[in-house]
Amino acid sequence: MTSSNFRSWPLFLVLAVISMPLVIMYVYLFVDTVTDTTAGSLIPDRFTLHHWRFLWEEPETGRVSIWTVTLNTFIFATCTTLINVSASVTAGYALSRLNMPFKRFFLGGILTLHAFPTITLIISIFLILQMIGLYNTLIGVILVKAALELPLGIWIMKGFFDNVPWEIEMAGLQDGASRFTVWWKLVLPQVQPGVAALSVFVFLSAWSEFILPQVLAPSGSAQVLSTYLSNLIFDDMKPDFNMFKSVGVFYALPVIVIYLIFNKQLMNIYGGGTKG
Amino acid sequence: MRRAHLLGLGFLSPALAIILMLFLIPVLLTVMFSFTNMSTATGISGGAYEINAASLRKLADAGAQESFVETLGKESFVVDDAGITAAAAAYGEQFANEVGSQMLGERFSSRRDLERAFRKLKSRPRSTRDIKKAADLFKRSVLNIRFETAGGLVDAVTDNGIEMTPDQQELLTKTIYTGWTWTSDNFALMAQIPYVWRVAGNTVLYVVLTLAASVGMGLFLAITTFYLPSSAASSFRAIWFLPRILPNVIFVLMWKWLAWDTGFLSSLLANFGVPPRNWMLDTGVNAWVFIVLINGIVGASLGMILFGSAIKSIPQSMLHASEVDGASRWQQIRYIILPQLRWPIMFICAYSTLSLLTSFEYILLSTDGGPGGATEVWSLMAFHTALDNYAGNLQYGLGAAMALMLVIVGILASLVYLRIFNFNDLVAKPRIEQ
Repeated sequence: MTSSNFRSWPLFLVLAVISMPLVIMYVYLFVDTVTDTTAGSLIPDRFTLHHWRFLWEEPETGRVSIWTVTLNTFIFATCTTLINVSASVTAGYALSRLNMPFKRFFLGGILTLHAFPTITLIISIFLILQMIGLYNTLIGVILVKAALELPLGIWIMKGFFDNVPWEIEMAGLQDGASRFTVWWKLVLPQVQPGVAALSVFVFLSAWSEFILPQVLAPSGSAQVLSTYLSNLIFDDMKPDFNMFKSVGVFYALPVIVIYLIFNKQLMNIYGGGTKG
Repeated sequence: MRRAHLLGLGFLSPALAIILMLFLIPVLLTVMFSFTNMSTATGISGGAYEINAASLRKLADAGAQESFVETLGKESFVVDDAGITAAAAAYGEQFANEVGSQMLGERFSSRRDLERAFRKLKSRPRSTRDIKKAADLFKRSVLNIRFETAGGLVDAVTDNGIEMTPDQQELLTKTIYTGWTWTSDNFALMAQIPYVWRVAGNTVLYVVLTLAASVGMGLFLAITTFYLPSSAASSFRAIWFLPRILPNVIFVLMWKWLAWDTGFLSSLLANFGVPPRNWMLDTGVNAWVFIVLINGIVGASLGMILFGSAIKSIPQSMLHASEVDGASRWQQIRYIILPQLRWPIMFICAYSTLSLLTSFEYILLSTDGGPGGATEVWSLMAFHTALDNYAGNLQYGLGAAMALMLVIVGILASLVYLRIFNFNDLVAKPRIEQ
């Protein structure tokens, strides 16, 4: 809101100053990937594509090609999203609209499950996956990630279903459709924005996930971009930040593109948190 | 059960199956594992019984009598059928028959005794060396043999002529088992870890500081961007929202670059004669500043969005009216905006306390608990103990016990929150089937 009672430039100045470190980090994140800087200087002085060589050069022995890793990450994020969204959409509808025994219990349970983030489960999940032989596979990580995001997904979808007018469903039933048809043909289209928002959210969250792949699928064949990048950073005694940043920008590009396209839908989820 | 119930449960079943497999069972197993001594050394499947030099040392440490340990470790010489057959093959039937007829079933505690007995026989081998070798054929020992069951081990030990009291037998089978066993020691062990209280303190410090930073910054950002023209406001919002969606590895990488000894801060300060150093890992205080900044900014993004949308829902007329009455900006914030933000602030506090308590990704990636454990928090300690430590022996049991503490705190807190946030309002009565 702007007003005539007070000027806005002092505020602008204050915000600009405290945003400075972040802006510097963003700018250098991109600039450093295509330039070289003389040691000790702050201003880059040479243009180079050298730091992007990981895209076309053969990987060092013991390292996996970035393209395999990218494909893994894509499969991981997509499958997680599919599983999570399908389970959330059905469960959200059930909790929002359908009558069933123990409904309160389920709803409370899902809220409570939200209080079990990764660390409280990861030790036993690690052991379970080892016992059933899914350790070090993408399938294992996909299932775990989809499950860990499930309480939030159900909760968000329930919120969207709650906002669909009952009249739509009742009209459908009057016309002789079954509850399932009503859900599939009438209610689901109403919550499409919700499904889109949740999909984007889960996809981004899976794309960025670090701890789960690191613990549950650390070896080469199932590596994803986050573990690839962090291994790169941890391995090197002499850090080559320009190269790290290039890999980082490569890794972050889909996130930034998705953010620019789905800005509104994302705000729906992040901002809708209070609504429940 | 009515048809409508089945429909509801059917819709819920995929989610229920996933939740059962990957939430409930893991939680139950966390409880189970926290009462075991599982570790890399014990493995996660069963173990075996084996007496060897290492397990004998363990036995002595566990308080077994010295004489008992010594007898277990000693070899004994038993004249049995297996030995006689071997002797027949090596030194002829005659010698074997004589041994069999005269000494079958006898026991000797040392080779010299057996050799002495052999020398009395007529058909003994000629040379001393051969007698020694023949004696070796009768050597029996429980050392370095794997037994799948405790019973097999006990039988073998008694077969070798070692008498055990029931107490000794229990101590033996308990100590030398290589697999995991049930135990409630983990919680006592946890209390004995010298730095555990410091870690607990760190955790409280981390939650309080980060929460204060993120709520404070979130409020500040939401209110200031509210008062800016919309174009400027949305660019600032974009700048401050990015940390939330950037993958955490990259976000931490940017901070590492900022703080590295060849990084931005060092290069910048070199112009003022400050020697370069790693600003993040230099001292404990520095590490804390970075931890709080990194986590606080990510938290502030969420706060900014939530508070921002709450401020937007304040009726504009109230603000306009206050302006006509000549309210200063501070008065507007104090008397109109902040009261409207009571619920969002409470929500963020509740939500973030829980998630901060258990989150450790940013700390793991930036300082990894360092320098010297200064920024180690509880969940990171559990992670280090069970899944990632330099000693190489991952203590799943102890780590699970540490995680269990967090589970308990989490459940208690969410029960309290369900009270505060009025759970009943969230459950709507279905209107089609009653």
